[in-house]
Amino acid sequence: MTRIWSRKGQVRRQSAYLPPTPQTNRRLPGFPRQGPKPGRTASSAITVDGLIKRYSEPASQAEFIVLSDISLTIGEGEFASIVGPSGCGKSTLLNIIAGIESYEGGVVAIHPNAVVGGAGPNIGYVFQTPRLLDWLTVEKNIHFVLEAQNVPRSRWPELVATNLAMVGLAGQERNYPRNLSGGMQQRVAIARALAIEPDILLMDEPFSHLDAITARKLRFDLVDVLQRAGPTILFVTHDLAEAVFLSDKIYMMSTKPARIFKRVRIDIPRPRQPEDEHIVELEKTLMREFFSVVEAKD
Amino acid sequence: MLAEKIPYPTFLASLSPFFASLRPIAPSALTLAAGLVIWKLASLFFLPVFFPGPDMLARRIIEIYSQPSNYVVVAETLSRIFEGFLISMLIGTTLGLSMGLKRSIEIFFDSWIMVLLSFPAICWAFLSVLWFGISQTAPVFTIVLVVFPFVAMNIWAGTKAVESDLIAMGKVYRANRFLLLRSVLIPQLMPYIFSSLRTALSLSWKIALVGEAFGVGNGVGQQLINWFQDGRVDMMLAWGVGFMILMVLIDLFILRRWERCVFAWRSRIAT
Repeated sequence: MTRIWSRKGQVRRQSAYLPPTPQTNRRLPGFPRQGPKPGRTASSAITVDGLIKRYSEPASQAEFIVLSDISLTIGEGEFASIVGPSGCGKSTLLNIIAGIESYEGGVVAIHPNAVVGGAGPNIGYVFQTPRLLDWLTVEKNIHFVLEAQNVPRSRWPELVATNLAMVGLAGQERNYPRNLSGGMQQRVAIARALAIEPDILLMDEPFSHLDAITARKLRFDLVDVLQRAGPTILFVTHDLAEAVFLSDKIYMMSTKPARIFKRVRIDIPRPRQPEDEHIVELEKTLMREFFSVVEAKD
Repeated sequence: MLAEKIPYPTFLASLSPFFASLRPIAPSALTLAAGLVIWKLASLFFLPVFFPGPDMLARRIIEIYSQPSNYVVVAETLSRIFEGFLISMLIGTTLGLSMGLKRSIEIFFDSWIMVLLSFPAICWAFLSVLWFGISQTAPVFTIVLVVFPFVAMNIWAGTKAVESDLIAMGKVYRANRFLLLRSVLIPQLMPYIFSSLRTALSLSWKIALVGEAFGVGNGVGQQLINWFQDGRVDMMLAWGVGFMILMVLIDLFILRRWERCVFAWRSRIAT
């Protein structure tokens, strides 16, 4: 049911804005990411503390807990993944952070370190499916979010061109999404998310609907693209291999009720290869751990 | 050996490229021709003024449209139709959209739409004559009251089919309501808007004639009444069919073309 007029379920985020830092903190396109970023404090970009989300079923008046006591801290510029089985509430968590779902307890804070003028953090979101507006050209799809974020029109051509080029879709500006393959559509969605120069990029299993080869190619591209655009990333997936390959940090979630049972830091140096023995080894270890937790429950 | 088992149209097509180009329209053209022949044969049993044949009807239509004074009659009716059509589209779309977006409006108008839909059109026609007298307002009023509930219901149904995923996407990117409406909601409603346009137009012209017949004193509806009183079926049919052709042309050459432009994105090939 679509009710864009209702205010229900809207942002209840407690913002904890830090004072704006100098403009030099903003990464320039093409500036490579190497170790801790220059001029950056080790402050966190996203803090979630003791988050509780309940759904109540109106018919049976039963209440069930979707998220129980979730806490995470994601540092600025960090690539963090949340890994968990399907239906464990990962997407709900992302929606809460994005401000489109309400929650019942705890604190969700976004620290827009690089935001000037206190306009609130820019959040880019890449969904499982591209969610493009099929009736608009690729270019206009990006214009849509730029208009939504009140980016001055004079900057639009440059932002469209840079970001489409970054995902390898230069020249597709005037094409319609329906003429593009699934992989290309997802690239447009990534370009759209990056076009608003997000402080935080939320990604909800962005490659799960693609075939293995396209997904692998996009993963490599993603690493490459993010090194240049470098926002803080919260990446949700059920694919451990993907998480280990991409992330700096992994939160592992279990179901019923959803909670985080382990936090893993991944110090394997970049650039990484999915077949790298450290990565494969770590994936195996984490997988075993997953099973031990899941089996202990059943 | 040759043409041994080739079906009839294919056989014709093999004779000349002209017949080959006719092949896609051949079946419907054939049934149409057969219908005309049956009609003509049936008409031979009756007086032409009581049951005219197709040739007779065609002659009458040409007669009507070759008389300049009749253009005024048609123009009067057309202006009423478009007035009523536009007002109904405006009210219907606004109401349907607000019903889809706001629960309280939906609850309030839900049963009223049903009431209006079920109310007989002929009653509106009489009532509007009593309320507004012999005037331009009466038939337009009738059209609006009959047509706008259809439009509202159609658009309302359309809002139920809107993809909430895309709305959520818009909200994440902090699109304001106006932008959501313009870029996300209305484009998804376009199929419903076009089907409403079609229904509204065809309903409008039918109701317009009824309204005119009851009390305006001019327009195509008045012509129908006049010829009815003289018992001239041929002229009544000629006015009715002639006007129908006009409305079909408007549908074909304005609405359909516009629709093709709007939905170009569905079939657009990479350029």
